[in-house]
Amino acid sequence: MLARAAADFYWMGRYFERGEHTARLLNYQLGRLVDTPADVLAHGWQVLYDALGYPSPVPLQDADNAEAYIIANAFALAAYLIEDTENPNAIIQSWTHARDNAKQLRPWLPVRVWTCLNDGFFWLRDCDFAEHWTQGPERLPAGVIDRFRLLSGIIESMMSRNHAWRFLELGRYVERLQLQTALLKAWSNPSNENSQMWTGLLRACAALEAYCRTYSMAIQPRHALAFLTSNPEIPHSLSFAIQRVQHLLSDIDPAGSRYPRKAPHRYSMRLAAAIEANSHASAAPEDTQNFLSAFGEDCHKLHHLIFAEYIDYSLEQGLPS
Amino acid sequence: MLHLPFDHIRSNIADTAVAGSGSFSDYAIESRFRDEMFHGNGTLRSVAEKMGTALNNAKIEQLIQLQDGVRRRFLHEGITFTVIGQKDVTEQIIPIDCVPRILTASEWDHIDQGLRQRLHTLNLFLKDIYHEGRSLRDGIVPQDLVFGCPQYRMEMVGTKVPHDIYVSICGTDIVRTHDGFAVLEDNLRVPSGVSYMLSCRAAIKRAMPRLYRAHHVREVLPYPEQLYSQLASLVTWTQSPNIAILTPGQYNSAYYEHAFLAGEMGAELVEGRDLVVHDGMVFMRTVAGLKRVDVIYRRVDDDFIDPVTFRSDSLLGVPGLFHAYRVGNVVIANAPGTGVADDKALYAYVPDLIRYFLAEEPILSNVETYLCRTPEGLAYTLENLDNLVVKEVGGSGGYGMLVGPHASQKEKERFTERLRIDPTNFISQPTLALSRAACFIDGKLVPRHVDVRPFVLQGRTETWIAPGGLCRVALREGSLVVNSSQGGGCKDLWVINEEEECNAG
Repeated sequence: MLARAAADFYWMGRYFERGEHTARLLNYQLGRLVDTPADVLAHGWQVLYDALGYPSPVPLQDADNAEAYIIANAFALAAYLIEDTENPNAIIQSWTHARDNAKQLRPWLPVRVWTCLNDGFFWLRDCDFAEHWTQGPERLPAGVIDRFRLLSGIIESMMSRNHAWRFLELGRYVERLQLQTALLKAWSNPSNENSQMWTGLLRACAALEAYCRTYSMAIQPRHALAFLTSNPEIPHSLSFAIQRVQHLLSDIDPAGSRYPRKAPHRYSMRLAAAIEANSHASAAPEDTQNFLSAFGEDCHKLHHLIFAEYIDYSLEQGLPS
Repeated sequence: MLHLPFDHIRSNIADTAVAGSGSFSDYAIESRFRDEMFHGNGTLRSVAEKMGTALNNAKIEQLIQLQDGVRRRFLHEGITFTVIGQKDVTEQIIPIDCVPRILTASEWDHIDQGLRQRLHTLNLFLKDIYHEGRSLRDGIVPQDLVFGCPQYRMEMVGTKVPHDIYVSICGTDIVRTHDGFAVLEDNLRVPSGVSYMLSCRAAIKRAMPRLYRAHHVREVLPYPEQLYSQLASLVTWTQSPNIAILTPGQYNSAYYEHAFLAGEMGAELVEGRDLVVHDGMVFMRTVAGLKRVDVIYRRVDDDFIDPVTFRSDSLLGVPGLFHAYRVGNVVIANAPGTGVADDKALYAYVPDLIRYFLAEEPILSNVETYLCRTPEGLAYTLENLDNLVVKEVGGSGGYGMLVGPHASQKEKERFTERLRIDPTNFISQPTLALSRAACFIDGKLVPRHVDVRPFVLQGRTETWIAPGGLCRVALREGSLVVNSSQGGGCKDLWVINEEEECNAG
């Protein structure tokens, strides 16, 4: 497969994941508007923005009147994450970038995947956020999640399991590793001992039911963190994502996963080993923060290694033997 | 599938359409223009009987539904072209009209034969000017017209072109007047529009399936596989060549088409940065290393394909590509330097070239052309600017032309100035009475001017012509400019195996 096309698929996967991730977190946060005290909500926005890599929003100054402004504040904060084209990681931008990538991939994409992506783009571009808000604040992120899942379903059912699909999935899971790491780091900050927040996170990660079956309805932040880090059965856990990355790399380049392994393969094994080692480590908040910081940087490096090996390699490296 | 309640055929004579009544109440016949659907007396031509009757039986709401359905399909599938304005780049869907234009098989066969003859001649001419130059020495074409043409490539002199096929893909614009069909221009460099032809056909076929079936329309959809096999036939060193389409990238106005063709052909869609030349061979960068490319269907102009040989500031091309071509390790279609044969001044000599190379009379006539490079041609053009269309010899896309009858005094003064400064850069032609076909615009069936661009493919031994072509429509009332960048649109063209009871009214 053409290296540039592989890169486009990879980035398309990353943008899908980024858009859906933001929508899921927003859906969780906006769902709390109805019954959560203003100060807890404000804290929630700070954690959410932190998890997505933005500067924390300025808290409402007039604490006495916070209740009065909470909705307007939520509207502005949510709009920035959904429809603000000045924000490079807003959902509309993720969808637009994914579509831009897809435009260059028309020869490889099933028509139905393209039309779904294209329809979604027009829907999102033309939708009136304020009007959706009046019908229920979480309505738009929920709609976005549905669109992403529809797209995922069509990809799942229609795309051949070739390199195009593999690079798309690889991008998706590398992005997931980075985003989930940042998310867990923001949530595991010592100031977030509130078990309700962890309940929300498990729900946003589609892991609450599985958690309750494994542990109990009583959510322990320590267990929740371990669950979302090391449980290989939870699609939004780090363990699951790194396993997928390993499988995809070995399907893309079977020879690269045999000794002497190529750099991305080696590095993905290292990341898997780091998760395994962390599951036996102390649960001290400081250690957790350090582990997640280092893991996030390693994920970033994995991305560069993949590009150096398969996309931006030198002429000498690429010549047929 | 779009449900069309009117999509059934009734041959009841009472339902037969007449221009000026029923659904066609806004359809005004003008005797100076040949109408594709009606005779001069307003009755349906036999070739359009089924279509006209079906349209006449339809309610306006049904036609609106039909038109919307077809347009929506184009929008959802992203069948677009890019318009590069002064401030921004916008992506627009190509305007499509839902009423097909219909030609009979015998009309089409005449065009088909004419196109074969023309392309054969142009390939012989190109070989001649880059090798022996007989036609130039014998004075068939003025030498300075060829050597002074900006599209003439010195680098091609003496270069062996695979099987002497310089032009593998050709799009020739054909117009129709009361005098019959005539060639308006040849597009030999990077003719575009074939994806719109195929998409139009796919959309119309779904929108009016029964009408389509009832007409026994000749099929254009094999175009991509024909393109693949004709290009593959030019390769001698392998049985399974790797074919790549070289595109300038997604901001090119025809990018949709490049991607569409690559997908339909199973070819790689590459940009210059995806290719490297090593040891005189062209490779593309794949995830598994470099892979050899055997054929490049380039959609990049000559100037930009190789910064080593042509424009050194080109970022779109591949350094060393022309060297690989010269040594015979890659086929480039169309060959560099073919643009000299689609120069609008050279066009005037094509009938003579047909007589010279093939000793035959041209099957398709040319439009009368005045070369402003000659004193007589310039004088005639300046005197008759009100009635002529003036075009730049290397222009395309409807840009850089003056339509005399529709131009303002200021525009005419500006063109007069330009003609005096650089007459060699212009030709002029009479304003043609292009034929008109039925279109559904703003809820009414009305006539609009049309032309057609058939696509010809030339392989090692075979010539294949898609029986249809891109039918372009000047959607603005009275306009003669059919280019999509200038307010034009497209419609499907059906070639049917049913004879029209002759003679236009």
